[in-house]
Amino acid sequence: MNHVNAVSLTMVIILFVVVTGVGFAAARWRRAEEMMHLDEWGLGGRGFGTFITWFLLGGDLYTAYTFIAVPALVYGTGAAGFYALSYTIMVFPIVLVFAPRLWSIARVHGYVTPADFVKGRYGSRGLSVAVALTGILATMPYIALQLVGIQAVLIVLGVGGSGSNGFVRDLPLLIAFVVLAAYTYLAGLRAPAMIAFVKDTLVYVMVIVAVLYIPTRLGGWSHIFSTASTHLAATNPKTKKPFGSLIVMPAGYWAYATLALGSALALFMYPHSITGVFAAKRRDVIRRNMALLPLYSLVLGFIALLGYMALATPAVRAGVKAAGGNTQLSVPLLFENMFPSWFAGIGYSAIVIGALVPASIMSIAAANLFTRNIYRDIFAPGASPRTQTRVAQFVSLIVKAGALVFVFALSKQFSINLQLLGGVWILQTFPAIVAGLYTRWFHRWALLIGWAAAMIYGTIQVYRQPLPGVLGSHWGASSAPVFGHVMYIAIAAFVLNVVIAAVLTVVFRLLHLPEGTDETLPHQYSADPEFVARKPAVAATAAGGSPGPPPAS
Amino acid sequence: MVQPQRRALHPRNAVIAGVLLLIGVVGAFWVPIYARSAPKLGDFPFFYWFQLIWMPVVMVLCYLSYLLLRTPRSQRPDDSVPVESGPIEPGEAR
Repeated sequence: MNHVNAVSLTMVIILFVVVTGVGFAAARWRRAEEMMHLDEWGLGGRGFGTFITWFLLGGDLYTAYTFIAVPALVYGTGAAGFYALSYTIMVFPIVLVFAPRLWSIARVHGYVTPADFVKGRYGSRGLSVAVALTGILATMPYIALQLVGIQAVLIVLGVGGSGSNGFVRDLPLLIAFVVLAAYTYLAGLRAPAMIAFVKDTLVYVMVIVAVLYIPTRLGGWSHIFSTASTHLAATNPKTKKPFGSLIVMPAGYWAYATLALGSALALFMYPHSITGVFAAKRRDVIRRNMALLPLYSLVLGFIALLGYMALATPAVRAGVKAAGGNTQLSVPLLFENMFPSWFAGIGYSAIVIGALVPASIMSIAAANLFTRNIYRDIFAPGASPRTQTRVAQFVSLIVKAGALVFVFALSKQFSINLQLLGGVWILQTFPAIVAGLYTRWFHRWALLIGWAAAMIYGTIQVYRQPLPGVLGSHWGASSAPVFGHVMYIAIAAFVLNVVIAAVLTVVFRLLHLPEGTDETLPHQYSADPEFVARKPAVAATAAGGSPGPPPAS
Repeated sequence: MVQPQRRALHPRNAVIAGVLLLIGVVGAFWVPIYARSAPKLGDFPFFYWFQLIWMPVVMVLCYLSYLLLRTPRSQRPDDSVPVESGPIEPGEAR
């Protein structure tokens, strides 16, 4: 595993260079008159149609989580890892219901972030700052997961992770990261939107070939399932229990269902998914996409099955063992063993680029949040759109550095925990955002207290979970027994959140605490206005949605 | 039912769309439905092929809901940004 495969490495470098070129070129794509505005840098001009939105949201949602973390979990635990498939089935019907309303209200009022909406709806800066901070915090482990995915590929390529010198070891990852940061800084959301085309082409080619070709090498699906079943039934020396099973056992039903539901509810609370929604041109684009995006989920299902193919390949098992049980390597190792070097290189590139695109969108979304809801709202109320964009560009760099901390600080045994940890946090913004789309019944302070309680509870619960078989370790899992059922901590915290918010709302109503002003009107939640591009002269209005001259598009 | 500006969404359509979407979600959430290995489809245990087939089913359900909830655009682009839109969509409002 320590040898460098020149052909694969060359393929990866060529495709990386191509993507980098596309990333920088994207700065000139659909160029607006005034680029130094968050509508442009942070939302790509709010003009993406069904086609681009599909690629953008797909590039957003199917990430190193899909290519590395889910197959790794399937490789390590079997059926339990398929909750990811169930999650991506549930997410689109759920989002189809509320996302159009969120899009409409954001378009009418010129909101750039979910926290902008919360501030406008509840007239509460405290609540909007809470939503913004949660978004930034939850995004970091998710970006970290992308880095772990890139790292896994680099290790198998023989250019990272196995050297003695820490700096040299991580150098390729840092280079990839710096390049990513550079074109994100320059082109904003246009860069990942354009690269997403390249990425998805690679991913679809890779998955179709893998699903049709690898089983023929491994003696068919029947052999894959039976070999996987045998290995999952073996006893894990650390926990003295079987590694997993081919079918979810009754004791695992709750965990499976709540992990899927919690992840589904959380996904479109992430600032980067909401950014993808806000960048759409029209209201119908959102719903149409919810009917088209499940195509990605189907792909996710097959990618998850790669975990079993890896388990059925003796060379992969040996490789994972040699790397100290790093299951993240299972898919890259599978490619190395099954494909000719040049095609393995294409597969690796799909994973690396599939991690870079979302990392870019996530850092943009987190930067938008910081700029609009913390920098502007707290420190510089009069900041011009130009200054805001400058700040956002800079913060996009900081966020990526923050993600590195998670990479080095948390266990990578199951990198999926990074995403699940993010989910525990981000789901706590669901009541304020989604309930707010339908009703002003909840009191703003009740929502804030519910949020705080759930954040504390969720964080402590995750902190207390040890790694399987390692006593005294922390941050090891995202599920815990609650009232006798092992379930996803995000859901338990969410229930706590809603109950507290509801009870306190009743109390605060009785006490007649001030409600805050609501700047939104009922009909605006179903409005479908055209976006009017801002000209430099009238660009000063921040959240007002100032009508400019007739649109260019 | 057809108005000059915009076709109002029939409440019944919203209810039907809601039911369709709920079916899609429950089919994935209710794990005991599919946590079994028989009947197999080819070499795939039920657990796997059910979820892989449920996915396209949900796509169809989502698309039907999209058709049911669609409200054709009526404004001209030269309207200013905060437009007066038609009636609020029932089922979504409140």
